[in-house]
Amino acid sequence: MQTAIQIQNVSFAYGSKQVLHDVSMDIPARQITAFIGPSGCGKSTLLRCFNRINDRIPGAHLTAGSILVHDIDINRRDIDLQELRRRIGMVFQKYNPFAKSIYENVAFSLRVEGRTKRSELDGVVENALRNAALWDEVKDRLHASAFGLSGGQQQRLCIARAIANQPDILLMDEPCAALDPLATLKIEELLMELKKQYTIIIVTHNMGQATRCSDKTAFMYLGKLIEYGPTMQLFENPQNPQTEAYVTGTFG
Amino acid sequence: MQNQHIFRDFDKAIEALKGEVLAMASLARQSLERAMRSLLERDIDLARSVIADDSDVDDLERKIDQTGLDILVRFHPVASDLRLVITSMKMAHNLERISDHAVNIAKRSKKICKTAPLEEAALAEPLYTLADKLLRDALMAYTDTNIELAEGLKARDKELDRLHKQMIASLSARLEDSDGRSENLLHLIFVARSIERIGDLAVNIGEDSVFLGEARDIRHDHRKQPPLTTEDSGPVAQGGI
Repeated sequence: MQTAIQIQNVSFAYGSKQVLHDVSMDIPARQITAFIGPSGCGKSTLLRCFNRINDRIPGAHLTAGSILVHDIDINRRDIDLQELRRRIGMVFQKYNPFAKSIYENVAFSLRVEGRTKRSELDGVVENALRNAALWDEVKDRLHASAFGLSGGQQQRLCIARAIANQPDILLMDEPCAALDPLATLKIEELLMELKKQYTIIIVTHNMGQATRCSDKTAFMYLGKLIEYGPTMQLFENPQNPQTEAYVTGTFG
Repeated sequence: MQNQHIFRDFDKAIEALKGEVLAMASLARQSLERAMRSLLERDIDLARSVIADDSDVDDLERKIDQTGLDILVRFHPVASDLRLVITSMKMAHNLERISDHAVNIAKRSKKICKTAPLEEAALAEPLYTLADKLLRDALMAYTDTNIELAEGLKARDKELDRLHKQMIASLSARLEDSDGRSENLLHLIFVARSIERIGDLAVNIGEDSVFLGEARDIRHDHRKQPPLTTEDSGPVAQGGI
């Protein structure tokens, strides 16, 4: 199994507040890895370390360890952040399409890169929307506002926008938190397709979602990685009593 | 399992399930005890009551399955909670089979009681004593999640198998010179068979208790082949004896 991300003894702080403590794990390529744990346990912070989006927060910094993406240390000084974030796409909890048409939402990042050739854009937009399982629903209204889509469709549009950049890795921070159960199932079904091409890491509070979708699951608590292993093992026979207490709902 | 769930209704449902299993276990063991007493003490009314009460055990099996299903649907249990629900439902099935064997014994006892006293009936007592101990310990292993006790049941069941074979051999020998008692001796052979099966079902409960406690599946372990041991038989697995 190829490793996409190697997390080696990572500690991370917001100013003087240490939020990740000596986290080490290997994230397999072209699989879905779920991060679970109570609010404030550090799972979103860890996720945001992978594309260095935490850099935007004043005082946020890695205090120890390293993160290698396909064997490259992403915290090296010479790393091109724009290229890093192109290769590691991100989808957020609250779908956030731009105030533009469906087409322009997907084509946006390509235009920013200076790729404006219509025929190329058409191909990329169609491909991304097809991969996001949205094409059939929007192909007749590509130039209508993205805000006219349902919540689930807007989130799939955000996924299409992320994969239009042809990333290697997709980070998803509670992508279904604002969606109804059916829209959630559509996203989950989509994830199963997307993992054939992309490495996916998903932060979720929905343990049913973790069991349905992910190949591996990591349980975090108070900034520490408590247990990490195959999802079925973690939910059927957790090795750590804290994991057992969390997944069975006897925590705290 | 020891801690309370944040969602208290889950605890209530789990407690209800455990209570139903314990009630069913108690009924099944009682049925076996009364069926054997009817045979040994020639009490036909006791045999009739065992047969009549079997429907209570059947009702409890249905109830446990329904409670288990409700928990699966409502609470999506995982880890030890999931194992508890699954083993409870399997336990109900095993207990129902034990109760059925008790009914079989009671039916045979009824027939035996209608004829002249059969001294060979006493041969079944040591078998029953051992089977009842196995059953009692299997139930204790389940309720206390006592892995050591559970894992020891399989070896102890071998002694029951030995006693069973011995009794069958003894009864078969007597069949040849049964002097009109052959039908009753055959009833007794089936009684012995039921007791032996109850031992097997106690072992099943023990295996489920290990799964409940440690998520280890020890069923059919005897079929696992040991690694090759001789040096001249080609490549030998590392760690062979």
